[in-house]
Amino acid sequence: MTAAAAVETRAPIAGAPLLSARGLHKSFGGVRAVSDISLDVSSGSIFAIIGPNGAGKSTLLNLISGIYQPDAGSLSFNGHNLSGMPAHRRVRLGLARTFQKIRLFKQLSVLNNVIAGFHVHHKIPAWQYVLHGPAFARDQRHCREEALRLLEFVGMTTRLHVLAGALSYGEQRMLELARALATGPRLLLIDEPAAGLNAAEVDVLLDRIRVLRSGGITVIIVEHNMDLVMNVADRIMVMEYGRHLFQGAPAEVQKNPAVIAAYLGGELA
Amino acid sequence: MLAVLAIITLPLIFNDTYWRTNLTICAINVLLALGLDFILGYAGQLNLGHSAFYGLGAYVSTLLIVKLGVPFWGAFAAGVAFSGLAGMFLSLFAVRLRGHYLAIASLGFAVIIYQILLNWISLTQGPLGIYGISPPPPIAIGGTVLVDFRNLTAFFYLVSAFTLLVYLLLDQLVRSPVGETLTAIREDEVSAASLGINGAAWKVFAFGVGAAIGGAAGCFYASFVGTLVPDAFFVTEAFNILAMVIVGGMGTLIGPVFGAILLTLLPEVLRGIGDLRLVVYGAALTFVVLFMPGGLAQAARIVRDKLGFGGQTS
Repeated sequence: MTAAAAVETRAPIAGAPLLSARGLHKSFGGVRAVSDISLDVSSGSIFAIIGPNGAGKSTLLNLISGIYQPDAGSLSFNGHNLSGMPAHRRVRLGLARTFQKIRLFKQLSVLNNVIAGFHVHHKIPAWQYVLHGPAFARDQRHCREEALRLLEFVGMTTRLHVLAGALSYGEQRMLELARALATGPRLLLIDEPAAGLNAAEVDVLLDRIRVLRSGGITVIIVEHNMDLVMNVADRIMVMEYGRHLFQGAPAEVQKNPAVIAAYLGGELA
Repeated sequence: MLAVLAIITLPLIFNDTYWRTNLTICAINVLLALGLDFILGYAGQLNLGHSAFYGLGAYVSTLLIVKLGVPFWGAFAAGVAFSGLAGMFLSLFAVRLRGHYLAIASLGFAVIIYQILLNWISLTQGPLGIYGISPPPPIAIGGTVLVDFRNLTAFFYLVSAFTLLVYLLLDQLVRSPVGETLTAIREDEVSAASLGINGAAWKVFAFGVGAAIGGAAGCFYASFVGTLVPDAFFVTEAFNILAMVIVGGMGTLIGPVFGAILLTLLPEVLRGIGDLRLVVYGAALTFVVLFMPGGLAQAARIVRDKLGFGGQTS
């Protein structure tokens, strides 16, 4: 069984995009990091956001995940309006993410990092937190099994009791993915997955992302390496200087003169 | 089991008033250290104002007993609840402030509470203090007194039984998913939020629990000593508690227990060498912070690993 099967299924609303953004703006001081961005991500697709460094991709991801609130514009996810909703509540709706600069709990073991990801799914009566009873034991056993399944999915079952801070960079990325999956997402936001990974590790990661998609999880990948997302994305949005430049299927993006001029132009010229 | 045995036998070994008094103070300090450890060691909130919760628990319960004639255990519950609420109030700052800023805010909170206790003379009698606070009522069945808390040993058993109970409940709590949740907040709040953890709510919880435990210690202290002066809750007391937690080992429960015992008894043991004891005390503290940042708990782990024991310490 794959990790996706471990994830709680939520019926998508037919016809409507899973995530849609309208006219998002975000400024930091005088810098317009994200300016008038609109997008629709359909359920079960892999959506890539690309652009050079500083294009506002990560800011956009932070707006979607709720780390930042937009200055203007609206966001809706699976029929829920996300305006003003803090990050931790978006997780309960089925939104999970990983970070460009890996943010694991370094003092917790690999296994406990994933178990921390089950925060929104515990089924324990309040009193059993201080007097562990049968419901507690059942919950803990269930969490452990699910965590092991997720760690098997990312190929880390041999490292269960290692502290997360002691892992290699590639392992940390995979662990962060497993931890995000523990929340049971419908939509997974992945920020610069390839940063710091070698080619073989990137291949493994992309393969896992495809498996997740086939299991029904929608994925948004932010990446500055265009070649990497060409093979995996169904739809690509190109950003430059915080603005929307182009949106389309990978083949269209590759051929679009505006994208070539702005994004690859610097290298070709 | 070992702890129960130790609690039962200790007063029998140390059978003079001086040492039995120290043992009870030890138990009270263990309670204080456990409360602070929950806030600092687990939730990672740099609280330098734990003396405030200690003092509030002591004064609220005592004033209820002395001024309003509330029975001891009712006043005890009120003192614990009031301290817990004060902790939750302080945690509202922890939601906005981090690290050093929170440390300064909590220190300021402790100073404010101390000044209130000192200067609200009509209520607290200020520096003159409150005298003749009676111990908890004896436990009696049908007129026969079973346990009289005027007896030092009985009082020690009361406080240490309560402390053991708190320890066991906290132990269960931190071994539950709450432990991972608080550690997650300590390690990385943004990351914790990305897993659906409401950092603000959990900080309120951690401060509430830790401060309530500190309040309980204050209630016991007041009725044990029988005298209440604001100086017992000056901010230096917060640093004493902090030292117990750090020397014992933050983020473990067993560490601060031994940290509290060591730092309570060490100055008493060293009393024989006069003021030199302060130098030894200071040097020992510096040594721990410099070379053993994980405290006694870390030292125990190292020793255990070296000797190749796989067992648990409890």
